[in-house]
Amino acid sequence: MKILIIEDEKALSDAVVNYLTAEDYLCEAAYDYETAVEKTELYDYDCVLVDINLPGGSGLDIIRLVKKRKKSMGIIIISARNSLDDKIEGLDIGADHYLTKPFHLAELNAQLKSIHRRINFDGNNQIIINEIKILPDAHQVFVHDNLLKLTKKEYELMQFFAANKNKVITKTGLAEHLWGDYMEVADSYDFIYGHIKNLRKKLLANGCRDYIQTIYGVGYKFDTSIGN
Amino acid sequence: MKLLTRTNLNFLSISLFIFLVGLIVFYFLLRKQVDANINAELAKKESNIRSELNMAHGMEKAPQSPADKIVIVPAPADETVRAFTDTILFDERAKYYVPHRQLEFTTEINGQKFLVKIYKSLAETDSLIVRILLLLTVVVVMLIVALLILNLHTSQKAWHSFYDTLEKVSHYDLNSQQEFSLQSSDIKEFNDLNRVLTAMTDRIKNDYYNLKEYTENASHEIQTPLAVITSKLEVLLQSDKLPEKELKTITDALEASSKLSRLNKTLLLLAKIENRQFPETKEVDLKELIQNHLENFEELIETKQIQVKLPESSFPIKMNPFLADIMIANLIKNGLRHNVKGGKLEFDINEEKLIVSNSGERIQGDEEQLFNRFYKASSSDKSTGLGLAIVQKICEVSGFQVQYAYHENLHQFSIFFK
Repeated sequence: MKILIIEDEKALSDAVVNYLTAEDYLCEAAYDYETAVEKTELYDYDCVLVDINLPGGSGLDIIRLVKKRKKSMGIIIISARNSLDDKIEGLDIGADHYLTKPFHLAELNAQLKSIHRRINFDGNNQIIINEIKILPDAHQVFVHDNLLKLTKKEYELMQFFAANKNKVITKTGLAEHLWGDYMEVADSYDFIYGHIKNLRKKLLANGCRDYIQTIYGVGYKFDTSIGN
Repeated sequence: MKLLTRTNLNFLSISLFIFLVGLIVFYFLLRKQVDANINAELAKKESNIRSELNMAHGMEKAPQSPADKIVIVPAPADETVRAFTDTILFDERAKYYVPHRQLEFTTEINGQKFLVKIYKSLAETDSLIVRILLLLTVVVVMLIVALLILNLHTSQKAWHSFYDTLEKVSHYDLNSQQEFSLQSSDIKEFNDLNRVLTAMTDRIKNDYYNLKEYTENASHEIQTPLAVITSKLEVLLQSDKLPEKELKTITDALEASSKLSRLNKTLLLLAKIENRQFPETKEVDLKELIQNHLENFEELIETKQIQVKLPESSFPIKMNPFLADIMIANLIKNGLRHNVKGGKLEFDINEEKLIVSNSGERIQGDEEQLFNRFYKASSSDKSTGLGLAIVQKICEVSGFQVQYAYHENLHQFSIFFK
């Protein structure tokens, strides 16, 4: 999947490119409005990450431009403004997601994965990781074709792990994915632990390998190399 | 004391003083003048009497009684008198004492010395003086009263704009969007005052908004470098080469930056609420909101084994839906955080108020400070200490009132909608 990252803060752009390149995405960066418009006109991208406040213009205008040319293009807004109006306007003109800075790269990755599935499978899709099969539309998880009975949070966890497999995921990143801004992060660590314990139990009970690794004090890693 | 009362009192006392002094001086001057006139009259009478006595050559024809205003008595030969004095005589007709002016003089008739006393009644002149003084008093009092009324009237008219200004200044609220316009006056001083006040409030307002804008901008600007820190650390976290100990260090830094970002977002939210950036309102069902939010906290409720009692009924409340959302979330969060194991969390809504109560220990310290920013009743370092400050700000901009009370081991937050 080819991604254009439109972000004027070079250091942030670099970090995103760095992270996503490791995920086998093809990444290009544009640091201002002009370059961004030029690139979207010259090349074909599957997805653009766009900052709203750009030198030379507004990211929203870029979204309008690319949506006119390619309806299916995935768009994620990354903005420092946590404003409801911006969010509504962005999503109105066709953005898939709205991320407020600072965001977790794991979260960005999970959103890119869902865009990837939308573009490539048109909704009819499944995620297969060894013996695990996830049907995102039905919110179902199978191990060796046995359907797991998961709670909503356990399912969300499973999907987040699948999107960020083999990556270190911080507790904070998980907490913000599961509860958004509502829960104080520090409160939620115990609950994360509880949900993960249950998820792991259900996976193991159906003959799944123990992929979920705890990294003490840091977070978790869904390590698919285990048992191979 | 009102300035108007003070000036009027001063005016009144000084005019009364001058009037009294003037009256007394006037009285004596008048008296003197009248006496001089009567003296002249008596002197004229004296010369008449002298010539009459000379012609009469005897006492028989001379008038004798005080009623005739002449008394002639023999006097020792060596006595020579001529003096004006005041005296009181009994008036036979009027049956009362009447003040008289008297002239005593001695005269010689046929070698015999006589003392002659002639009188002139002062009754008419006295009553004239009294009438003059009375008339004068009436005129002066009328003048003073008229001046007072005039003064009162013009002052009231002139001061009206001042009181208007005072009223407006005392109700001036920086946060309100109302235009601060003062009534113009035809008094230069008041116009000057209004001009200075308007300039001052404009300047204060400008500074205030600049500061608010600065807070908002600064918060925005902080988010981007924070995003750089977070993403760089997360990239670093993916490195296979780092031992677990280093990963822990990075995570700590990540957590700190995440906390900073949350704090920043919360402060930004507070600033936005204060700047009234959420003006649109619609009907909000608080019960539904509470139910939705409780789902987000189900783990917390389960772990603490908290019994939740939902409101029995719901009344639609008119407020900004986004603010309602935040207010409810913060109230629930607060009610759960400061709860005890097996405690209660109860909601009650009626037309006039929403009550959220939760079990918990009494707050150590000042309850008044509960809604202040960064006030933490417990030493928990988990909370930002901004939750209730946000609730209060939301109530403030929505025209609600929030109150805290503690009784029967329950913390009770009441939000009055009117």
